[in-house]
Amino acid sequence: MDSDEDMHDANGSESLEDDFYSEDMGMESDDEDADYDFGNEETNDDAEDITFHRQQNYTILSESDIHQRQEDDISRLSTVLSISRFAACILLRHYKWSVSMVHEEWFADEHDVRQVVGLLENPVEIPNVRELTCGICFETYPRNIMSAAACGHPFCGACWRGYIGTSVSDGPGCLMLRCPDPSCGAAIGQDMVNKLATEEDKKKYARYLLRSYIEDNRKTKWCPAPGCEFAVDFVFGSGSNDVCCKCSYSFCWHCTEETHRPVDCGTVAKWILKNSAESENMNWILANSKPCPKCKRPIEKNQGCMHMTCTPPCKFEFCWLCLGAWSEHGERTGGFYACNRYEVAKQEGLYDESERRREMAKNSLERYTHYYERWATNQSSRQKALADLHSMQTEKLEKLSEKQSQPGSQLKFIIEAWSQIVECRRVLKWTYAYGYYLPEHEHAKRQFFEYLQGEAESGLERLHQCAEKELQIYLEADSPMKEFSDFRTKLAGLTSVTRNYFENLVRALETGLKDVDSTNSQAACSQSSNSKSVCGKGSKSGKNKAARSGGPSRSLDDHWSCDRCTFFNPGSATTCQMCEHHLPT
Amino acid sequence: MQASRARLFKEYKEVQREKAADPDIQLVCDDSNIFKWTALIKGPSETPYEGGVFQLVFAIPEQYPLLPPQVRFLTKIFHPNVHFKSGEICLDILKNAWSPAWTLQSVCRAIIALMAHPEPDSPLNCDSGNLLRSGDIRGYRSMARMYTRLAAMPKKG
Ligand SMILES: [Zn+2]
Ligand SMILES: [Zn+2]
Ligand SMILES: [Zn+2]
Ligand SMILES: [Zn+2]
Ligand SMILES: [Zn+2]
Ligand SMILES: [Zn+2]
Ligand SMILES: [Zn+2]
Ligand SMILES: [Zn+2]
Repeated sequence: MDSDEDMHDANGSESLEDDFYSEDMGMESDDEDADYDFGNEETNDDAEDITFHRQQNYTILSESDIHQRQEDDISRLSTVLSISRFAACILLRHYKWSVSMVHEEWFADEHDVRQVVGLLENPVEIPNVRELTCGICFETYPRNIMSAAACGHPFCGACWRGYIGTSVSDGPGCLMLRCPDPSCGAAIGQDMVNKLATEEDKKKYARYLLRSYIEDNRKTKWCPAPGCEFAVDFVFGSGSNDVCCKCSYSFCWHCTEETHRPVDCGTVAKWILKNSAESENMNWILANSKPCPKCKRPIEKNQGCMHMTCTPPCKFEFCWLCLGAWSEHGERTGGFYACNRYEVAKQEGLYDESERRREMAKNSLERYTHYYERWATNQSSRQKALADLHSMQTEKLEKLSEKQSQPGSQLKFIIEAWSQIVECRRVLKWTYAYGYYLPEHEHAKRQFFEYLQGEAESGLERLHQCAEKELQIYLEADSPMKEFSDFRTKLAGLTSVTRNYFENLVRALETGLKDVDSTNSQAACSQSSNSKSVCGKGSKSGKNKAARSGGPSRSLDDHWSCDRCTFFNPGSATTCQMCEHHLPT
Repeated sequence: MQASRARLFKEYKEVQREKAADPDIQLVCDDSNIFKWTALIKGPSETPYEGGVFQLVFAIPEQYPLLPPQVRFLTKIFHPNVHFKSGEICLDILKNAWSPAWTLQSVCRAIIALMAHPEPDSPLNCDSGNLLRSGDIRGYRSMARMYTRLAAMPKKG
């Protein structure tokens, strides 16, 4: 919060909109004090354009782009080192297509590098005799039909073809091919392949070479979408990990799963693993994990001892066997470390152990099911929206253009609305994985999170409804309707408001809902920034200022956060429902 | 197929011609199938295999020599890189380090070298590998010697 002043200075500048949006690129500043208010229906006409101003930290490469880059790198290296293009290609592949790495190694010890990759310093001619014996088939042939790499070891055409073919069919290892002579090690480059291999093998080899340029390079990857042939060149260290391919698939650069903000890669991996393993997990849950009897968080048993202590802040101490409080285990019950309370209970038939275990498993499964269902619902809702977006683009827009006598260029707002819906469904989906892993004992956070999520659901619902149902009226109209321009304003407005809301939501979740456990001083700070922004209202940039001022703790109209325990209370309450602290004035 | 047959025939002729060239190796081609060979190799001297004669059996793929032959010991042998039951051999030149310039003869030579220099770090016979890795050279030698006597030495009679 120390940069509060700076932020307001920045807000005063002319380029406020750009500033606001450029922060989306992942600067982890204090910008979580944003507005979560859906009541603000002001439209932001500039927003549509601004989203495209984001500087990209990646480049999408088509196959011909890749080819071009690869050729350029090879040419450049071959010029700098004064070696053949094929030698340059072998060097680059060996050093994972890093030109700088090749330079470094080559100029440090050219001899050594040549040795390692199999580039001979002094090429050897095939012995100058009339007939030679092929080193593979042992047949004797005239010299002119024999071929050799730079080492001069002669093999006949058929054997070369077979040798290269065997290697190519073995996979990308063919890019590291060496002379067939076991004592040699001279590199076989693409020039040899092109001269000696079958057409099919030449193609396969070229394909492996292209793939290597993407797959062996640390800063490039293929788009993971099935059937997509684009690759991505990513610049590290700046901004978001999200990549949007030209095929329209968005994915996370790090883990190559579909874009998953606001949750991190680790959570995604955990969640996906959980989903796939849930059924089989049942046994594991039964054997190794039980919810803490107090806070219900699953506690793994990783020690032989039955004395369990829940992780902080709960720290509840209980007995693994009977789930009773550990404090009740004493001499009376048979001693702490010889808990026979369980044994006694079993003997007396007080409860059936397997039943108890099933109950535990059911509780943790119920919780999981709750989140999974909602996650999956948003997922399928998103698929549906994607299909709708597609049908909009391919047919409906044209129809609408006819019916309402609107040029297609004027209907972009509909595509934007649908794209936004698709994106929001994705975010919303992941908030359920977020919720699942949000510790249950962090009551204030959970409460606030669920409030934000609820608002997001209903806000998105409004947008979805407008884009789906209201649009239908204009699609079915017999003649152009003058209300159409109102519809445009409404839908564009909802799109923009929803976008803002979700962007702020993502940021808040990514920073771990930090300001929920804010101290008094921070609360005061966000209060003062709120009043400042009120003063700022009416200025040119007022509408956006509202979107970034004030902590969430203050900005939800009908709620207030307790100074003492941070619990989120409804506006109607005058004392905190959690700790009975009085509403600060 | 035709190429591998031609090549094997060349190796066959070479073997006939140089019969006495390497007294430690005796390669024999199956009478009816040129893709089936056996070999008798002598245990190298100053090893626990000394004095033993070991039989190898070759199964040769149609893509030979582009692909390596499959070789295993038919004679029981206690060696870290030979599977005790199947006789399968763990040797790099029979796998990824194969070169089509190798011959059956050179494979036999490589196997003799392996008998003299076991690689306990890639064991196919764990008992034998463990003895060597734990430094129990005597234990290894006496086991290997015993199996050589039992399985690889002609019975005195
Ligand atoms: Zn040849
Ligand atoms: Zn060579
Ligand atoms: Zn793609
Ligand atoms: Zn990720
Ligand atoms: Zn607990
Ligand atoms: Zn215990
Ligand atoms: Zn107990
Ligand atoms: Zn409170």
